[in-house]
Formats: sequence, structure tokens, C-alpha cells
Amino acid sequence: MMIEYDVCVIGAGPAGLSAALQLKDCSVCMIEREEKPGGILKQCIHDGFGLIKFNAEMTGPEYSQRYIDELMTTDIKVYMKTFVSNINYICEKNIQIELINPEQGMFQIKVKSIIFATGCRERTAKQVFIHGERPAGILTAGSAQYFVNVSGYLPCRKCVILGSGDIGLIMARRLTLEGAEVLGVYEIKDSSSGLQRNIAQCLEDFNIPLHLSETVIKTHGDDRLTGVTVAKVDSEFNVIKGTEKYLECDGLILSVGLIPENELTKEMGIQIDSHTKGPIVDQNMMTSLKGVFACGNQVHVNDLVDYVSKSGEIAAKACMEYIKGNDYEKEDIRIKFDDSEFLYIVPQVINRQNENMNVTFFFRSSRKLRDAYVKIEINDKEIVNKSYIALNPPELQVIDIALGTLSQHDNIKFKINQR
Amino acid sequence: MIKELQSKLKKSVHQGIECEEKRKHIVLEGVVDSYDEIIRAGYLAARDEYKGVVNRLKVDGLEDKSIRIPTLSDHQFKDDPCDVLVIGGGIIGCAIIRWLSKYNLDILLVDKESDIAMHQSSRNDGMVHPGFAPKPGSNKAVYNVKGNQMFEKMAGDLEVPFKRVGTYMLFEHYYYALIKELFFRRAEHNNMGTIEFLFKDEILKREPFVTDKVKCGIYMPTTAVCPPYEMTVALAENAVLNGARVSLETYVYKMQKDKDKIMKVYTNRGEIIPKVVINCAGLSADFIAELADDRFFTIHPRKGQIAILDKNKADRLDCVLSIIDLKTMKSRTKGGGLVKTVEGNIVVGPSAYEQPYKEDYSTTKEDMDELLEKNLSYIKGLSRSDVITYTAGNRAATYKEDFIIEKSDYVSNLIHIAGIQSPGYASSPAIAEKACEYALEILKEKMKITDNERYDPHRKSIPRLDKFPKDMRSDMIMKNRDYGHIICRCEHISKGEIIDAIHSPIPAVTLDAIKRRTRGGMGRCQGGFCTPLIMEIIKEETDLKMEEISKKGKQSHILYQSTRVKAGRNDD
Ligand SMILES: Cc1cc2nc3c(=O)[nH]c(=O)nc-3n(C[C@H](O)[C@H](O)[C@H](O)COP(=O)(O)OP(=O)(O)OC[C@H]3O[C@@H](n4cnc5c(N)ncnc54)[C@H](O)[C@@H]3O)c2cc1C
Ligand SMILES: Cc1cc2nc3c(=O)[nH]c(=O)nc-3n(C[C@H](O)[C@H](O)[C@H](O)COP(=O)(O)OP(=O)(O)OC[C@H]3O[C@@H](n4cnc5c(N)ncnc54)[C@H](O)[C@@H]3O)c2cc1C
Repeated sequence: MMIEYDVCVIGAGPAGLSAALQLKDCSVCMIEREEKPGGILKQCIHDGFGLIKFNAEMTGPEYSQRYIDELMTTDIKVYMKTFVSNINYICEKNIQIELINPEQGMFQIKVKSIIFATGCRERTAKQVFIHGERPAGILTAGSAQYFVNVSGYLPCRKCVILGSGDIGLIMARRLTLEGAEVLGVYEIKDSSSGLQRNIAQCLEDFNIPLHLSETVIKTHGDDRLTGVTVAKVDSEFNVIKGTEKYLECDGLILSVGLIPENELTKEMGIQIDSHTKGPIVDQNMMTSLKGVFACGNQVHVNDLVDYVSKSGEIAAKACMEYIKGNDYEKEDIRIKFDDSEFLYIVPQVINRQNENMNVTFFFRSSRKLRDAYVKIEINDKEIVNKSYIALNPPELQVIDIALGTLSQHDNIKFKINQR
Repeated sequence: MIKELQSKLKKSVHQGIECEEKRKHIVLEGVVDSYDEIIRAGYLAARDEYKGVVNRLKVDGLEDKSIRIPTLSDHQFKDDPCDVLVIGGGIIGCAIIRWLSKYNLDILLVDKESDIAMHQSSRNDGMVHPGFAPKPGSNKAVYNVKGNQMFEKMAGDLEVPFKRVGTYMLFEHYYYALIKELFFRRAEHNNMGTIEFLFKDEILKREPFVTDKVKCGIYMPTTAVCPPYEMTVALAENAVLNGARVSLETYVYKMQKDKDKIMKVYTNRGEIIPKVVINCAGLSADFIAELADDRFFTIHPRKGQIAILDKNKADRLDCVLSIIDLKTMKSRTKGGGLVKTVEGNIVVGPSAYEQPYKEDYSTTKEDMDELLEKNLSYIKGLSRSDVITYTAGNRAATYKEDFIIEKSDYVSNLIHIAGIQSPGYASSPAIAEKACEYALEILKEKMKITDNERYDPHRKSIPRLDKFPKDMRSDMIMKNRDYGHIICRCEHISKGEIIDAIHSPIPAVTLDAIKRRTRGGMGRCQGGFCTPLIMEIIKEETDLKMEEISKKGKQSHILYQSTRVKAGRNDD
């Protein structure tokens, strides 16, 4: 016999938790493959979470604990240590999910709707084509964070950090505080990909140098890493001959990007955005499959958890409407933009049949700009014109607007102009 | 003759080369200007009249990199006798001990590493070649075709996944149609059964993603794929269950002889007194031959880099593609192709180039870029971003470029299985059978040989729950809850499977060893999420501390000290 629920939330990180808690008047289950809820926040013991949402500086675990405590008071069925092995979208409001866990073995549940909140994963050394030998001591910043903060062990004593993503910056500080030496952060691009706040608080305060337009070109060591070769690169990322330098170290920590965990959505045939690598969603966080929603880092990699929680709430609200039968046809209008101006814009589409036309847009500019305007045009008519002192790809921007009724052939376009 | 060779070497390679005829082989000595000259001289000296080339040429200033030697030192062996000592735990050594375990013999295999299959045998494409490439009449041709025929049964008995997928040898020009008879004749010479010539439209019917540059090709149905590390482990486990012994981190560095006989073999873990020694030390087989004072060949490592693509591109290919043109057909440094493994990953490569270091497995941007650019263009929809990992291996090539499978001419109780480069994996069962035959011939003069009544050719693999029918999988989880706890999310490997590997006949206690047995950590995230979890399991199941758990033994530990216990303070 198949157990039935109205909604299944997959992933118990901040996105999934906030979505699940918003779901009222329907039966909800949550699936999490790890032993505890909280997602990646479990290992983020630094503060800086909840600034927008709770107007407080909290650590990752403190932030998620608020939600977990609330979860305990609800009758949401939580399946922990549970792995999704297959999802079968039979038809609208009939989705069968195959699960595995130690208690029940293999079992199936039947739901009307799914909210994906599966977070993201890190790009690996191989995905950025680091060459040389492959000894122990080369690891992603997230793994290093887990070892230091959860397992309680130092993964290196003297290290180089490749990539200036936020987790790398935070780990530079964390490792220094734990007594390891951080030789420097090497970033192949000519600007950092982490938040300015993190550069100040994690590098500058600890005198850790940030080397821009420099990268690791070779790793050395048979058993354990003994060193890396770094070199400067030109604007095409080609190594500049003669700038190679050998650095002795026993750790190489990579912070070279995060990718939405899109395995399951891909398998279901949900459309994926080549910019975000996550599913294409509408203003309600509904994916290209009716009744399947996505939120949090699974859609695009956020830099603030507060936005993650917000996206969970949006998905949950729309999901409740969907369950209630306030149904609407899928009629999506694609948001247009130029790759040279934006890295991505979420939501990627607007469903014009839906009542909710209050849209929160998230975007990142594709390069660093000063004194810029972001314009939204519908059929060449400007409806938003917002000015920014600075736009920077690492800083996610938000625009809330109320779009009026749209017709089928309307053309929505985002533009950036510089003063 | 030697005079003529000498002058040729001096003239066309380097003035500083001296060559000498010793026993039945050639020895080269002197100092040259580059590594390339060493290699060229080696090949020039490799003539039919001689058994082999010992190349002792040196280049000034060329860094000397040693091979991996265990740091461990103990007295596990105290003049321990054994009937057969097998040196080298690659596919060849492990297949040999499995074959020998049919008989009532005291069999000991030693390998210098913390696990078996750490060199060539886990660094290859896992392709069971059809036997087309080797020169007709060569050892390679004979053993390859025979090995291919024996492989399926071996894989079945040992529960290692095996799939006969066939090879398409692709050509970019129609004119290859004119010479198809040459290919047919080669297939006939090598006894490899029927092969087909196909034009593009026919190929496209079977492999729809082949790109437009392909015009025609040859199809060879007998090619198979089978994971090489799993096979090596399976053979060794089966041998151990049948009574053979395996000693790891055991490095052979000296032999004591009495006249033409090896009396004693020295290792870092003590001395062994074997009746027969089988040298299958891969890249170091020349060193082992030297220890027995019977070196007649030099192994020069030929590197091959390999890239592995994400399983989500599994639908693109269902076979092996080998890419050939007339220019590269005869060259030793050709390379390339695409192999779809049983697990659904596409393996790209290997490349092939000479370099001086036997155990240097570093990869380079130049070679990898070239490899990907060349090979990915034969299949639509493959790109660099599909690469999840890459690696390199070194082929144990001799200058004669053929397998050495023989009883020593000068040492009465030594067997050489050397120069086992590609298609060494494909040939392994046939080679093992022959090596076993030679060993028995020598042993028969010293002892009575009887069958091993305990011998069972079957071996149970660690269950791959992912591949089981649902109800069976559920039943297994109900019996062992750990099978329901997924640890490696990319490959869907459970805690139970990892525990099984830790307690298997050749216990896996390093991350790489667990990977070779379960695939845990082999997926697209490359162990990013599961490494800490697997380490926790190793800690729970063994007496290792977190700081002692390593990637591949020796000094390859993952962690340093705990951040929670401060020095000088007791943790209570
Ligand atoms: C390694 C790492 C470190 C980070 N560090 C910081 C930081 O220091 N500061 C910061 O501001 N932001 C950090 N971030 C960004 C952070 O991801 C977000 O702020 C936020 O945690 C994202 O929330 P989420 O719920 O979308 O995803 P997550 O927190 O990743 O939660 C997703 C949950 O889904 C579960 N899950 C995934 N797939 C499945 C499945 N198939 N079945 C069942 N369960 C599944 C996962 O186990 C996880 O618990 C980090 C991200 C990563 C990847
Ligand atoms: C890139 C590449 C791709 C290939 N692809 C294929 C393919 O698709 N199909 C195919 O058929 N073949 C292929 N091959 C060839 C195949 O891998 C080899 O022929 C085969 O693995 C050789 O096995 P082996 O047991 O002889 O050597 P190895 O696996 O190298 O084993 C030798 C062992 O000896 C041990 N050893 C060495 N010295 C000592 C010592 N002094 N004391 C103790 N132990 C010692 C080493 O530690 C090692 O484990 C490929 C090879 C390479 C490099």
C-alpha cells in the first residue's frame, strides 16, 4: 500500500524547511538523506545568517534551529536518512516517489506536488581541470569546512586556496583561527567572486593575500600534497610564461563554484537553465512540470540564506493554491536579457495565467559596474528603472515589482545601462 | 652484426652510446643528450636476432624519481617457505594465484603497495580487446585472442560485470573501403572470428550519435568491457578464499642465489624461501629480473592519460570506438578511442607518449586538451564539461614490444611475465593459465602435486544493491539496515556495501581501496560529500583513528590533528 501525501518537500535545508512550514491545510512529508535537518547550514558555524529575515546575526546552525524547533511542533512527516531513488510523474497530481531508508527498506509514496529544495554541490578539482599529481590534501572548501567544523580535524597545516568563492574565504579565516597557515587565495579572474564583506573580514583582517589573475597550474606530491605551482594568467586565462612559482604546502582548498543539485530534476525531464544550471522556474517557483516546484540553492546559488528561505515561502504558497485546485494553465513568457549584461535572472519565465503578478526578480550582473541602471521593458516600454552605485557579479540583486496583466506575445526584457 | 649496430647507434642517435652483446641480449651504455635519444636507441637495438634490449643509457641532469617503497618494516616473514612466490599484485599476479589455487600449493603473493591493483591494473580502459591490433604470431596476438575467449567465464565465476559490446574502428575517408580485405586478412591471421566492414549509414543505425566526419568502419563483435580493478580484486579474493596468501606493503629488494637457483627473497617484512618465483612486477619487472641476475630487457614507461565522462551521457554510445588513420596505424604512440564501461561512463583515451618515470601518474593540460579535442568530436553532444575525472597510467613496454611469458633461461626456478602492456588486461586469463603451467612444470621435479579439494572457482561479490530488483533489495535492507543507508549519493552506494568492503577477504581500509571495491566516491562529486562519511565508517569498523585513515596508504592521510583536543590536556 502506498502512503499518500499532498506535498513532498525534498531536502531539509533552509529552503525546504521554510517551504514545509508555510504549507498549511494539506498533508506534508519531508525527505532528507542526511541524519539531521539543516542542510549545509549545519557546518556554517560563522555568523552572518538571518540579517534580513530576523534582523539578527546568527550562525548557520542557530538560523536553521529556529525552523527545526518549529518543525517539531507540526505534524509534518519527516523521513530522515532517506534517499530518493526514482520519481515517476504519472500525470498531474499523481507523482510516485521511490525511496530507500534503513527502517523501511524500499518503499513508495504518492503525492500531488513536489517542492525540490535539494541545494547545491561544489565544483571539483577535476571540473576546473587542475593537472599534476593527485595526492591526498586536495579538497573542496565545503569538505574542508565539514572536517573542521563537524568532524573536528584539521585537513591541512599550510594551504593555498584556489578560487575566491565565499566558502573559500570563510575557510581561509577558519583555518587560520585553527592554527593552519593560509598562504594566499588565488583567483583566475581579475575580480573576486566572493562578497566584499567576506574579503574584508576573512582575508584583510588576517593579512591573507588575494592574488587576482593568478591560478594553480600544477599539483605536486605522491602521497600527500607537497606543493603547488601557481602562475599569472592573461585576460584569456592563458598562463603567462615566466610567472610560474612553486609554493610549498600540504593542502589545496578549492572554492571554484557551486552547481545546483539537479540530478533528479534532470531525470524527470524538467527544463534546466544553462545559466544557473538549475531548473527554469516561474514567479511561483514552479518548474516546467506542472505541480513541481523548486526553491533555494537548487534553483540558483544564493549568497544569503534569507533569500533562500524566502524562495521556499514563495514556492509553498503557490503549491498550496495548486493543491486547492486554484489551477492555471502553463503559459510562460521567457524573460529576455543579454549574456554580456547578466549572468542570470530568476525567475526565468513569467506565467501570465497566474493571478500572482507580484514578482521578486533575482539577478547577477555579468561584470563589475559602477553607476548603472537596470531597466525592465515590456514591449520596449520601460516599467522599471533602478539605479545602482555598483553592480558586482558576486552580489545578488533583488527587484520586487508588480507586473500587470500580460498578453501572449509580450516581450519582457532586462537591460543594463551605464551612466 | 654488433659492430654494425654500434655504428648505426653512434651515427643516428649519439656518439656516446656503447653497445655490447651479453648472453642473448643487447646492453646499451653511455650518456646521451635527451630522453628521446634513449628511447630511439632502445628501439634501434631491438632486433629479431636478440632476445631483448637492456638500456642503461643516461641523460645528464635528468631528475631521478624513485618508485613508491613502503615505509613499513617488520618481521612478518622469518625464512618462511612457500611453493610459489608471486611478485606483483596487478591483474597478472592475481590471475596467476587464482589459477594456481586449483592445486594443493602454498602460494604467496606480495605487492609493495597498501592494496592490490594500484598500478597499471587500475589505470586502464578495462577493455577486453578483440585481438586485432597485435602483430600476427606475436605473444600479444595469441594471448589476447585466447584471453578474450576465456574472459567471460572468468567474469561470470567471479561475479564481475562483463559486457560484450564490440568495437567500431572508424575511418574518416571512404577509400578505406578499398583496403578492407587487408583488415579481414589480419582478423583471420589472428583467429579473431568474423569482422564486418560497414558504411556510415549502417554504423549510424547502430550508433546514432556518431558524427559526420566518420565515413566507414570495421566492426569487431568480440570486444568486451569489464571493470579492471574489480576484476583484479575478485581474482585475488577468490585465490585467498581458496587458500592463497596475499601480503601487502611487501617490497622485494634482494635475492640470494645458489648457482642457478633463487634460494631466498628479501623484503621489508622479512625473508621468504620459495620453490618457484614468478616475476609479474609490471613496470618493475626488469628490476626483479636484475635481482635474479637475469635481466635481458628494460621496461620503459609509456604514459596514457584517460578522462572519464559523467554517466548522464551514457546514452551517447553503446560500444568501443577506436579511431584510426593510416598515418597513426603503425605508430606506437597512437592512442585514443572511446570506451563505454559497464557502469555507463564513457572513458576517453588513453593517449600514449614516452616519459622517463615509471610511477609518475601526473596529468598535463596539453595532453588532456588534445585527447579531448580529438576524441570527443566523434560523438555528438559530448563536451569537456562532461568530464568528471581523469587519470594516467604507464604501460610496461619493452623495446621488443611483445609480452615476455617464459621460464628463465638462466635461473631454474624463475618465471618471467613481463612487458605486459596493452592488451595485458584482455590477455590475463590466458597468461595466468600459461604461467601456472610453467610453475607446475618446475614444481613437479620437487614435489608431488595434487588438486586442491577446497578449490571453488566462484566468488561472491559485494552486493550492488542498486542493481537488484526492488523487492530483493528491500529484503536485504530488512536483514541488514546498513544496506538502506545511502552514503555515496552519486553512485548510490550504501553503508552496508562499504562495511562489506572493509571486511572483505583482502580488507579495504583506504579510501581508494574502498572506491575500487564499491565505487563509493567515484561519481560526479568525486567524494566531496561522502569522504568524511566513509572515513567515519572506517573508524567505526577498524581500529584506525581518523588521522590514520588515508587515501592510498603510506603518508597519504587525509587529516592532521584533532582541533578539539588541545595539546597537553586530557580529553575526558
Ligand atoms: C559547502 C557549502 C558551504 C556553504 N557555506 C556557506 C556559508 O558559509 N555562508 C553562507 O552564507 N552560505 C553558504 N553556503 C550557501 C548555502 O548553501 C545557502 O545559504 C543555503 O544553505 C542553501 O539552502 P538550501 O536549503 O537551498 O540548500 P542546502 O542547505 O544545501 O540543503 C539541501 C538539503 O537537501 C538535501 N538533499 C539534497 N538532495 C536530496 C535528495 N535527493 N534526497 C533527499 N535529500 C536531499 C541535502 O542533504 C540538504 O540537507 C554554502 C553552500 C555550500 C554548498
Ligand atoms: C593507460 C593504459 C590503458 C590501458 N588499457 C588497456 C585496455 O583497455 N585493455 C587491456 O587489455 N590492457 C590495457 N592496458 C594494459 C594493462 O593495464 C596492463 O597490461 C595490465 O594491467 C598489466 O598488469 P600487471 O599485473 O602486469 O601489472 P601491474 O598492474 O602494474 O602490477 C604490477 C604490480 O607489481 C608490484 N611491484 C612492482 N615492484 C615490486 C616489488 N619490487 N616488490 C613487490 N611488488 C612490486 C606493483 O606494486 C604492482 O602492483 C592499459 C594500460 C595503460 C597504462
